[in-house]
Amino acid sequence: MGKEIPAEKSLNLIRGRLCDPSFIFRPLSASSDSNYSKLKFIVSTSITEGCNNSILLLGPRGSGKAAVLDLVVGDLLEQFPDSVSVIRLNGLLHSDDNCAFKEIARQLCMEHHLLFSKMASFDENSHFIIAMLRECGLAHKTIIFVLDEFDMFAQGKQRLLYSLLDAMQSVTSQAVVIGISSRLDADQLLEKRVRSRFSHRKILFLPPSRDELDGLLEHLLSLPADSSFPSGYVSRFNDKIKNITSDRRFKDILKTFFNAHSTVNSFLKFIFCAVSLMNLESGLLSLENFKAALSSMQRQPKLEAVRDCSVLELYLLVCMRRLEVKEQSSYNFISVMKEYKAIHDSFQTSDYYAQNVCIRGFEHLRERQVICYAENRGQSQTGEYRPMKLLISASELHQGMRSHACCPAILLKLLDH
Amino acid sequence: MPKEESSKVTRRSTRSSASVTVENPEPNVSHPPTIDDLTFGDESITLDAVLSDFPGRRSQIFDFIRLMGPLDCPTLPIMIYGGASTGKTSVVLQVLRHLNRPFVYSSCRTCYNPRILFESILNQLLLHRKCSSNGYSSAKRCDKPSDFVNLLREALSNVIKTLESASGISRSDKPDGKPMGKMVYLILDNVDLIRDWDKGTMILQFLFSLDSVLKMPQLGIVLISGLPPDVYYSNMGYTDPIPLFFPAYSEEDLRQIFLRNQANPKLYSAFLDAVLRSFCRVTRRVEELSTTFSSLFRKYCEPLDDLGISPNEDMKRRLYSYLKPFIAPCLNDIFRVSSHPHDGETRGERRQKVSYSSENREELKILDFHMSTSAKYLLIAAFLASRNPATLDASMFDSTGGMDNRRRKRKASEKSMEKKEIAEQEAVMKGPGSFPLERLLAIFQCIASVGDSSFGEENQGEEEEDPTGYDRENNNLMSDILLQVSSLCDANFLIKSGSCPLEGSIRYRSMVSEDLALKVAKSLSFPLAKYLYRR
Repeated sequence: MGKEIPAEKSLNLIRGRLCDPSFIFRPLSASSDSNYSKLKFIVSTSITEGCNNSILLLGPRGSGKAAVLDLVVGDLLEQFPDSVSVIRLNGLLHSDDNCAFKEIARQLCMEHHLLFSKMASFDENSHFIIAMLRECGLAHKTIIFVLDEFDMFAQGKQRLLYSLLDAMQSVTSQAVVIGISSRLDADQLLEKRVRSRFSHRKILFLPPSRDELDGLLEHLLSLPADSSFPSGYVSRFNDKIKNITSDRRFKDILKTFFNAHSTVNSFLKFIFCAVSLMNLESGLLSLENFKAALSSMQRQPKLEAVRDCSVLELYLLVCMRRLEVKEQSSYNFISVMKEYKAIHDSFQTSDYYAQNVCIRGFEHLRERQVICYAENRGQSQTGEYRPMKLLISASELHQGMRSHACCPAILLKLLDH
Repeated sequence: MPKEESSKVTRRSTRSSASVTVENPEPNVSHPPTIDDLTFGDESITLDAVLSDFPGRRSQIFDFIRLMGPLDCPTLPIMIYGGASTGKTSVVLQVLRHLNRPFVYSSCRTCYNPRILFESILNQLLLHRKCSSNGYSSAKRCDKPSDFVNLLREALSNVIKTLESASGISRSDKPDGKPMGKMVYLILDNVDLIRDWDKGTMILQFLFSLDSVLKMPQLGIVLISGLPPDVYYSNMGYTDPIPLFFPAYSEEDLRQIFLRNQANPKLYSAFLDAVLRSFCRVTRRVEELSTTFSSLFRKYCEPLDDLGISPNEDMKRRLYSYLKPFIAPCLNDIFRVSSHPHDGETRGERRQKVSYSSENREELKILDFHMSTSAKYLLIAAFLASRNPATLDASMFDSTGGMDNRRRKRKASEKSMEKKEIAEQEAVMKGPGSFPLERLLAIFQCIASVGDSSFGEENQGEEEEDPTGYDRENNNLMSDILLQVSSLCDANFLIKSGSCPLEGSIRYRSMVSEDLALKVAKSLSFPLAKYLYRR
């Protein structure tokens, strides 16, 4: 493999930046009153003063809570190399208490080069953890517990939370518990005894402002002027980016995008889609890339499902819709077939098929989740007699049929009538 | 050294197998898997080959390649979704074959619970193959997501180290099947089936956030799903993967797909001109159309002596007119093409009882599976018991045999018409009624005695002598009734519905459609219409 073409290199570089959270959030956290500095202040004071602390990071999904925390932890590990150790837990994986204690014990063992036995019981693990906390407290070493998906730990009996917070209060320990959650009321989920031991510090992650995002865009897309790229290419690329971002149409695209999405992660996904569409021959981005990325993010799955239907399936959908319009509160396959026959008798359509073919069409619609059974019980009936319901609205059906490739005109007429 | 938990399966052996000693050793175990096995394996193919293999998927293939990016390009998770048999899995695998990148493929259809899924992925990454020497066990035992994350991280770092050292040695352009690049792709197929698993929503959320949990940029995740991404939205949120949609094929694409690999493209394209449009109105799925077309095409080619000729307009018209009578019944049937009008030689084998006509429509009224006579009567009795209200039994099955229509003369007022309509609707919604076993047996006895006389007449036409007289037929019909009932239940013609706690007897419900009941009655020459209650 000879040298890569510069377009591929720049693509690799930008995509690598997009998938690397620390690159993205460092400039966003540069100012002094950002969440990054607040968090860093709290944790570093508790390290230097040797006290316990607990914080919650709250914000919608994709606003960079874990990324900012990783930045803070990385900086602290550099600053205090020997007096910090980090234990990471995730609510998705470790919500079961046994699992959680085992994982904490395993990570502690790895940190301190001890032997870990998978056969240790729950009691042994918890004694071990408390003993380690005491030892680290005596040695002035702070343990930072990072609890991702904090609300999942708050389900059930909250044993893990209670034991951690209780150990922090009773034992001579130095520990910081940082919880990350996308539920804004995560602290309301705590039990009384846990909540009393929890210091109610919360850091809220709000969506970034437009200026910050513009700055982020530039930061992401400008290529560095180093020697690995051909010299003219870098300046051409950066000029093109400047042209695009100052274009009014681009600002419109961004405005449409931000009407629906507000978090940083969705913005990154948008840029990722746009950058992947880069023309590899010219190696430059263009406005069309961004337009195409925007339309790919505005999917309408129900419309796509209706457009994929065959003509027979459209007939069945129209029959069901007509039964709904006639205010029949519940209908099943047999009643739909009656309506189908009635349509055929009055309009003499060419599309009248036998019952088993229609059952097959029904099954296809049910697989695609366009219709479903109305109740889950009633298993003793065959599928023909169970009540069904439509999962798409009338307007979606209308739109889908109008954009269908070969929808017969009579169906549209039947739907409107 | 931490103690490794082995996952050997303890095998229980029967006495006979324990006594038999294995004679030959395992013949030539194939080589243990290496890092090269992570690629597709066969020779790599060019992009043009991929594009020509999948007509109609051009834009999706390009989109997918662009999303994968050039070599060693980190990627966000991708979700590919579309209807059934739209080519999602095959496109993904062929594109990875073309790009020659190492991947791990696992389908949630074959790995039907989390443990098997996790172990299958780990086996592939740890280059472990199940064979008899290790007792067909996996490399590591793993059934919880927490263990899976730790083991996956270890296995991935090993694989990536191997890939990096391998890529440092040889970086040739030749497509020789060796994996290129330092990234590994994880492909999970049929992700929509996870929704039906135990704790399925947790597993789904775990899979969708796998990349942020692992934080390894060298892993690219591709999820293939039959359902659109909005089906997975639940209370627990996650960041969506990047969607890529595979729409159903249009008619043009279907034509190109069916024309591939045909021995005589011109003939087949003439055939498609005749049938494709009408069948596309019913269904656009490739697997359903291909079964119908293969049998129809055989029928289409029957009048031709030489299958290699290309037809001119006149011949096309003649072939079409030959095929035309088969198309309409085939549209109304799934998986089957009627063959009776063609089979002249089997005419002699037909039994004289069954009325035979050259019309295709008649053939649909003949019962196409065999049932014993008593079972047929039982089926009809069950159908009648489900359809008729119990209060009418006495008048229906009295000695005059059948309901008479004297009561129809009264003019129906509007209110009673409305009531009738509503009652009809309710009846349709409720479905067939349930009946106790005693009622079924009573009705069965009535109609079997009716049918007895006609049965006796037909028997006189046959040659066999019956020394014991008509009693034997009667006894034959009444024996083993309960056995017949249970076999009808197994065949799903009857189902057991809930039992009434007061009465204590089991109630049954007939699941037979009216068409089938008519066919059965016709085969017995039983006047079913006389006994059916029509509102």
